[in-house]
Formats: sequence, C-alpha cells, structure tokens
Amino acid sequence: MAESGRKYSFHVEPKALQVSDRPRKFLEAFAAVLRHGNYQLALDTYARLSTRCGRCASTCQLYATTQQDEDLPCHRSELLLRVYRRYFTRWGVMRARLFGGFTLTDEYLDQMAEASYRCTACRRCKAACPMGMDHGLVTRLARWLLAEIGLIPKALVVSVRQQLAGVGNTSGIPLPALKDTCQFLEEELQEMFGVPIPFPFDVQQAEYVFFPAVSDYLLEADTLMGNAAVMHASGASWTIGTGNYDGINYGLFYSDRMLEQIVQNVAAEVRRLRGRKVLVGECGHATRAAWYLNTFAGPDAPPVVNCLQYAHQMLTAGRLRLRDQRIEEPVAYHDPCNIARGGRITEEPREILKTICRNYVEMTPNRTENYCCGGGGGTVSIDEIRGFRTGSLGKCKADQIRASGAKIVVSPCANCKKQLREVCADNGLPDVQIVGLHDLLLKVIEVK
Amino acid sequence: MEIRELGGKQLELDEDGFIQDPAAWDEAVAAALAKTEGVDEMSEKHWKLVNYLRNYYLQFQMAPMIRKLCKETGFKLNEVYELFPSGPAKGACKVAGLPKPTGCV
Repeated sequence: MAESGRKYSFHVEPKALQVSDRPRKFLEAFAAVLRHGNYQLALDTYARLSTRCGRCASTCQLYATTQQDEDLPCHRSELLLRVYRRYFTRWGVMRARLFGGFTLTDEYLDQMAEASYRCTACRRCKAACPMGMDHGLVTRLARWLLAEIGLIPKALVVSVRQQLAGVGNTSGIPLPALKDTCQFLEEELQEMFGVPIPFPFDVQQAEYVFFPAVSDYLLEADTLMGNAAVMHASGASWTIGTGNYDGINYGLFYSDRMLEQIVQNVAAEVRRLRGRKVLVGECGHATRAAWYLNTFAGPDAPPVVNCLQYAHQMLTAGRLRLRDQRIEEPVAYHDPCNIARGGRITEEPREILKTICRNYVEMTPNRTENYCCGGGGGTVSIDEIRGFRTGSLGKCKADQIRASGAKIVVSPCANCKKQLREVCADNGLPDVQIVGLHDLLLKVIEVK
Repeated sequence: MEIRELGGKQLELDEDGFIQDPAAWDEAVAAALAKTEGVDEMSEKHWKLVNYLRNYYLQFQMAPMIRKLCKETGFKLNEVYELFPSGPAKGACKVAGLPKPTGCV
C-alpha cells in the first residue's frame, strides 16, 4: 500500500488531508447524488442482488495477478454497497438502530479510496456477473463521492482544474504553443509529402471540429500528422478550435459534475464555430465522454465521430488512396476499453490494419473481452503508482503482447499508448513499438 | 510540498521534486536538480537540451513537442533517455525548471 511519507498510494493535495468530519460529509454527498441523480435505481438493485459469488474473479486482470480478496470486483463494490444499505435503505437504518453494527469511519473511507484507484474501471467483469452488476459504475460512483470530500489523486484534480479554470486544457498548452507545434508539424508533413497539408484553425462551418487528447500535441507527432493527412487526402472540411482543443475528459473517471462541464465546453466550441460534428482523435475515454454530448447538450447536440470510424469510412468509400508500400512487421491491435467494451468500435480499426499491414496478428482475448492496458480510468496519469500499474495491473497485457509475437502494437488511445510503453519497458519487452493507427496510415497514405 | 536547498537557494518542491517557482531557476539550481535525477555531472549535451527547453518555455510557457525537441537539438529520443534516464518530460523538463506536466503526459 502507501509508501512511507505518503498517506495513500497516490499523492493527494495537502488540503485533502485537512478535511474534518469526513464520514458525515461523505454521506451528505451521497444523499445529494441519490436525490439529484439516477444512481438510486442501480444501487438499490445491486444492493439487493449482489451475492458476492466471486464469478468476476475469473475476469479481473488485477485479481489474476495479485490473488488478493480485496481486489475482487464484487468485494470492491461491496465497500460502497454496504454504506448504501446501512444509511440509505429503511431496513439498514432500522437494523442499525436496533442492533448497532457497521458505522462509516475515516479508516473505512481510506480503505475505499485505496480500493477505488486499484481498479481501472475497465468493466471487463461486468460481462461475467450473473446478476449483471456493473462494478465499473460502482467504482466510479465511489470515486465521485470521495472526490466531493477532497479525496482524489492530485494528478487527476490538477489536470481538471487546468482544463476548467486554468489554461483551458489538461496539459496546460497555451494557444501560441499549440500554433507553434502545428506549424512545426506542417513543416514535417511538407518535408514528407512535398505538398502543404494544413492544420486549419477556427474555420467557420467546418464539418468536423477536431478534439484529440491534447497531450498528443506534446507526445504523438505521427498520430496528429496521420490525422491531418487523412483529413486532407479525403478532402474533408475540418478545423481545430482555438477556444477549446482538448478532448480529454477526466470527469468520466470520477465525477458527473466535471464530466458535464467538460462536455458542455466541447459543445460550446462547436457552436461557436458553427461546426457540424465532433471529430475525436485517437483517445478511448475522450470518445466515450463525447458520446455523452447527447445526454448533456440536448437533442441538437453535434454527432460524434471517432477518427478511426472516419478513416475507415473514407477507406471503404475509396476516398483514401494508399501507396503500394505495406507495413511488413507483425502488427497487433490493442482495443481501448472505452471504445471496445460496449462493442462500438472494434471492427473498423481491424479492417484498416488488415488492409495496410502484411502481417496482422490478433491478441486473444480481444474486442469486447479485451484486457485493459492497465492504465485505464485515469490511473495512467498517476506517476507514483507506476510500479503497480505496469506490474499488478499490466502483467496480463504484457503476457498477451509477448504471446502475440507482435513487433508493433497499435493502440489508438493516448492513455493506452503511454501505459503500454511503460508496460513494455517494465516487463522486458523493450523492442515492441507502441504506435497509433494513424501513425501507420501516415506511412502508406497517398497525398497529392 | 517541501523546502530544500538547491544551488544555494531555499526552494519549494512538489512531491515529485519539481520546483514550484520557475522564475527561481538558474544554472546552479539546474545542476542541483540534475543530481536528484541521477545526473551527477551536467555535460555540454545536457546543457544543450536543458537550455533549449528553458528558452522554449520562456517563450511559450510550455514544453515543446518531443519531436520538435529532438529535431531542433539533434538528439534522438533514446539519446534523451541516456542523458536523462526518467525521460524528456519528467527528467529534462524538471532540470530545466519547468513545472510538472499535467494530463496524460
């Protein structure tokens, strides 16, 4: 658990350690969420149905490695359900009056906080639960309530603050720096293809307004150049909005309040530019978060297209031309949980890869049953738990990559890319390259 | 947060050892920060990288894209890791006195 000098295994802000009367505040937040949200139905059902049968044990990649009871998904969910039963059901309240028993304490909240960030909310266990419990949902609700009393990893909360109240995006990239980066990428593309391929800014009424994980502008040159090349080659009208250029939404990991605000800001930028659709870059959670536009931004919310869907559509329609060159090394595809678990985007990237690679190999299990990279649910940005992330959480993935024999693993998600690079580095796979799908498209696309 | 003496100054550091006030940075501070990153002696190559980062930061309040850093300094990414084992973002940027990167970095 937590190393010396740190109360939790992750850093929290100093003020989080000074919150007093935490059990009462936690219960107040819980009551408010139940009153104003629609979690009551799910919790009430789960609290009655949960048998703690442990069938989820066979699906959890964390439990497979640690074999510790507290890492069982239904054990973790029970931490919150127990509080729900005791304080928010008539029977629980009455039983406590008559017989005493469980009381929410500070230590219990600490235990819940540790447990909540040992889970990546990948939701692989959901399919195995005979009662249909969504443990990812329960983990997320626990994180939200803990965040309301200030108990949240510093890495998450400072990024959201930077996005909502600071520079305007999670990595804190000011507009002049973004423009400088895009200009640099345009020069690289010019060198590569001999023709100008633009990163357009603030084009009014563009069909697509582009929201990548903003960290791509620091880390993923090839992915972004691939995005620009695909848009250019297919003749799309697209733009980057100078008012909001970050698709990242950590609200998906811990808070409906934050989720909504960040989604609203995306909708507002598309409206400002009078754009038609949201084009999400290579990022799993950003895509799933954007799918909430319908929930939060009303019936006329712009439709959401992931760049994989777009590239696939253009390729099948014959609007993307490829050179004769193909990728020769063995290539495997890693499904990012947030786009694959529900089965929404699994085939498009495979069809693209089978077209552009000579040696495509599959990792098993895959698609809706894939293993998480081990850094989902925001844990990838928590540097201080790297050993846990790449060890206990990442081992299954490392074994899977090794067994596939792939030299290149394609993972169209900023979160998974960072995590998988660390997983490979820490698990004796230094020669495996982790790239985005657009990185490979960039190598074979024909641009005139 | 803790206060430590680095390069003859009392500086506030975050949990990961990044200085909190980028303006307090000077070469002596950089050399002291480098020691915390396992770099005992700042060579000419180290300085080339750190000075590039520093100047970019002063102009844009941000670290450059890694590809740009490599291209403009002439170092390959693995050479950056040889110079600063914890990498460009967590190692080189720390020594150059930049704040800790946030988000998915």
